[in-house]
Amino acid sequence: MKHYSFEEMTIGMEASFDVIITEHEMEAFRVLSGDENPMHMDENYAKDRGFDGRVVYGMLAAAYYSRLVGMELPGEKCLINEVKLTFANPIYAGERLKVRGEVTDLREGTRRMKVKANMTDEAGNIRNEAVITVSFTEDVSS
Amino acid sequence: MSRQEILDSVNSVFREVFDRDEITVNEETTAADVEGWDSLRHITLIEAIEDEFDMRFKMNEVTGMKNVGEMLDIIAERI
Repeated sequence: MKHYSFEEMTIGMEASFDVIITEHEMEAFRVLSGDENPMHMDENYAKDRGFDGRVVYGMLAAAYYSRLVGMELPGEKCLINEVKLTFANPIYAGERLKVRGEVTDLREGTRRMKVKANMTDEAGNIRNEAVITVSFTEDVSS
Repeated sequence: MSRQEILDSVNSVFREVFDRDEITVNEETTAADVEGWDSLRHITLIEAIEDEFDMRFKMNEVTGMKNVGEMLDIIAERI
């Protein structure tokens, strides 16, 4: 985990990591969220609607944006204020995806920053995108 | 830009941030006068105003401004 303060952040700072969303995670998310929509559960149902198979939950994929800012940009001091998500193309279980984020905006007055992020497949196609607004926590115990 | 023109633009930003077309603020308006003007909305509002006028507030200004009039003073000084 990174431990960046607001003052240490600069425009253009980047972080990335690879993920593969597994059937196990799909099942865990079904239990966690209670979302049993057949698009995510039923292979034939999804194929009948023009998809290659069961579609990964968009909000499950978006969970990796939590990891991006909570672990990397800025890491420990992160507090997510806002997330704007766009689900451009479906993700299927077992695909290798790259999660990338870049600091695109820093506001001294409000001590917040924006991280522009996306998830791409191995061919570089964007599957989803996010703009994440993050503030920084401070230790107020002393 | 006249003070009235700044106020008009600030009102447009308020309406967009609060997603309420009926909001009209004036120099004396404070956070207590606008439903939903909490600390997080204040920060969103500040950043939207920064974008609108292509200027930046200082941290002590963000927490220190008492009413819309003080906000206008800072904007007028920077643009």
